[in-house]
Amino acid sequence: MKGIVFNLLEEVVTDAHGEQVWDALLDATGLSGSYTSLGSYPDEHLEQLLQAAASALDTPPGEILRWFGKAAMPLLAKRYPSFFSAHRSARPFVLSVNSIIHPEVRKLYPGADVPFFDFSDEPDGTLLMGYRSPRKLCLLSLGFIEGAAAYYHESTTFEHLECMHRGDSCCQIKITFTPGGAR
Amino acid sequence: MLQACDDDLSGQLARVQRRLERERMARREAEAIAEKGLRELYERQQELLLLEAIAGAANLISSVEEALQFAIAQICGFTGWPLGQAYLTDGDGASQRLLPVAAEPGALPGPLAEFRLATGQMSFAPGIGLPGRVLASGAPVWISDVTEDANFPRAAQAREAGLRGAFAFPVVAGSEVVAVLEFFADRTAELDASLQRVMAQVGTQLGRVIERKRAEERLIYEAFHDCLTGLPNRAMFLERLGRSIARQQADPNYHFAVLFIDLDRFKIINDSLGHLAGDQLIVQVAERFLAALYEAEQGRHAAAEAGTLARLGGDEFTVLLDDIDAPADAEHLAQRIQETLRQPFCLEGQEIYTTASIGITVSSTGYASATEVLRDVDLAMYRAKAQGKARYEVYNEAMHQSAMARLKLETDLRRALLNQEFVVHYQPIVSLKTGDIAGFEALVRWQKSATELVYPSDFIEVTEDTGLILFLGIWVLREACRTLGRWHAEFPRSTPLTMSINLSARQFGQPDLVQQVRQIIDETGVDPTTITLEITESVTMGDAEHAIRVLSQLREIGVRFSIDDFGTGYSSLSYLHRLPLDILKIDRSFIAAIDQDGENLSIVRTIMRLAKDLGIDVVAEGTETTAQLAHLRELDCEFGQGYYFSQPVDAGSIRQLLQAPEPSPA
Repeated sequence: MKGIVFNLLEEVVTDAHGEQVWDALLDATGLSGSYTSLGSYPDEHLEQLLQAAASALDTPPGEILRWFGKAAMPLLAKRYPSFFSAHRSARPFVLSVNSIIHPEVRKLYPGADVPFFDFSDEPDGTLLMGYRSPRKLCLLSLGFIEGAAAYYHESTTFEHLECMHRGDSCCQIKITFTPGGAR
Repeated sequence: MLQACDDDLSGQLARVQRRLERERMARREAEAIAEKGLRELYERQQELLLLEAIAGAANLISSVEEALQFAIAQICGFTGWPLGQAYLTDGDGASQRLLPVAAEPGALPGPLAEFRLATGQMSFAPGIGLPGRVLASGAPVWISDVTEDANFPRAAQAREAGLRGAFAFPVVAGSEVVAVLEFFADRTAELDASLQRVMAQVGTQLGRVIERKRAEERLIYEAFHDCLTGLPNRAMFLERLGRSIARQQADPNYHFAVLFIDLDRFKIINDSLGHLAGDQLIVQVAERFLAALYEAEQGRHAAAEAGTLARLGGDEFTVLLDDIDAPADAEHLAQRIQETLRQPFCLEGQEIYTTASIGITVSSTGYASATEVLRDVDLAMYRAKAQGKARYEVYNEAMHQSAMARLKLETDLRRALLNQEFVVHYQPIVSLKTGDIAGFEALVRWQKSATELVYPSDFIEVTEDTGLILFLGIWVLREACRTLGRWHAEFPRSTPLTMSINLSARQFGQPDLVQQVRQIIDETGVDPTTITLEITESVTMGDAEHAIRVLSQLREIGVRFSIDDFGTGYSSLSYLHRLPLDILKIDRSFIAAIDQDGENLSIVRTIMRLAKDLGIDVVAEGTETTAQLAHLRELDCEFGQGYYFSQPVDAGSIRQLLQAPEPSPA
């Protein structure tokens, strides 16, 4: 896992709950907490931090993950404005993840292990997204999508048709974008 | 105390927090710097890979279009932009346009394919649309959103295809925009200086490819075209002729014709007006021939597939008429070509006329190679020249036979000269007053075998054409002088015997003629005043001043001159008196008819009077009958030569004649 993810997590936790909570999470997990965006760190660190947060906030880890994704989006928009300004709505932004955003990520972090998303347009106008990764971070991507929708003043609903957490081989998520949602 | 301790602690905490914040900021900044460096490194590597790929391909790819297509694909891969299009510049000035290079049929999603289809049908004038703007300015152009751009004719199709941002840059060769490449993104695009820099390098590389390709094409063009007229040259003509021959061999119903055109007076024009004027004439002639060919082909069949007019070099042109219906097609064209020369050419302010001799051959003769065709059509052209120029001749088998015979004769003559097969015969020239032999005319014969004697009429023309006459002429002169010297010693006379020896035009043109004659006179010790060199009127025709000069120099040696065949040529009386002539020989044709009609008699009488006035002796050639002799005596003609007295015989027979008692003419 790239250090940037831990940096973002620290930032959103600190913003929402204060530095003490982040310190508490580190204390609970026994992790040193020194992450640089350029480094790579074991995936278990994220898992441990999520578990700790789940117990501290009495919320399921998946919910934490989804919240993290959504809250991280404005920070990403601040750091990498050009990815966002090239689009006028959430849908093409989301669609650009494979072709634009991930190649850009690889430019910064050679060897970054980014997931690949399958996108297909459904007859009813919704977007069907396929996700497959041993990290099983489908809820993080949902959070990111929600955050993106919020950035473009839209709202989204999801139908998690298949999920690796439920024993499926991959996740299939049906996404509906609705203009004019709350930010 | 506690308060002070608290204050101290909170102060320390604040300082630590500030310190922490500083560290965090420093870390972020360090990360940002490193990220920027990594990102730039990555981009440079990708740029290098792109440039390397394009440069590598440029050396392997065979066409400009292919090189451009390759670059488009590479750049699309590099930028992640879904679509690119190349244009090549066509024409120049106001009519300059950018024409799209046909895209390779690749799998594109529907709307993009539609857009590419629409692009394929466009052409852009300078300043119009994205590529037109690049063509006009020679600089890259960015459009952030083509669907909102006022100068983007394909906006509707772009909107349909979901294309937004666009970028185009020029391919420059020298200072000229030779091609334009445009790319489209599915999102808005802003000027990207780094991308623009890389594309400028791509543009330079592609420019070199195009420049190299054009240089190559120019070389190939020059190798197959005549640089003066721009017509196909010999190489291209032979190539096309070769194709026609192959086609004829495969398809007996297909026929072609070849014309060989040679201007008749080109050398004179070149020599008198200079090579520049000669070149101008060739260019103008080529234009007229081309027009004639075009017209003839239009008339021949509706969808005229024009024949090939080529310039082989100098004043030689050839035409290949493809797929003719009948040999008459070729003759028709030959007539048209000759008609085009009726009007004068204007060269150096002068009106110049020229004519052409044309040889024609048709494929029905049956040809296996272009060389054979050129050989035959050249023969036909020479026949046209020989037949009086300004005409055409169609090749036939007899021409080949006669050419072969002539070639054999030439070889035989060279060998004859080497083997000393030539002999000199002598024909007496007789005083009509006394009947005495006054002298002889030396006449060459070719003793081809013990029984076969060949007369000059059968070979002298070939020796003239080949230059063999120079050797033969000098040999005859030496032989005749030596013989006369012997006879002078053997048969001394109060008026020594004379010897007339023919001098050909070719010999007359030799710069060392005077020297050669002097040397032979010295060598043989013969009295030069007894030697008469016979020249024809034509010898003096070309350059009268030169002729007078040479004759005067020879006269200083002591030799005398006679004019041969007088009356048959142009007989330029105007300068006859300026030539140092001693004898005038009336042509045999007048003598032969002297007793048949009064007209010939009066011509002979006039010539006699003219000669007398100029103080020149007259010899009547071809005196054969008593009646002729009587006429000549009546006219007071001094000398006669002909069968009446003796036919030409060998030196031995002449000795017998000279030893014999005085002949008594009847």
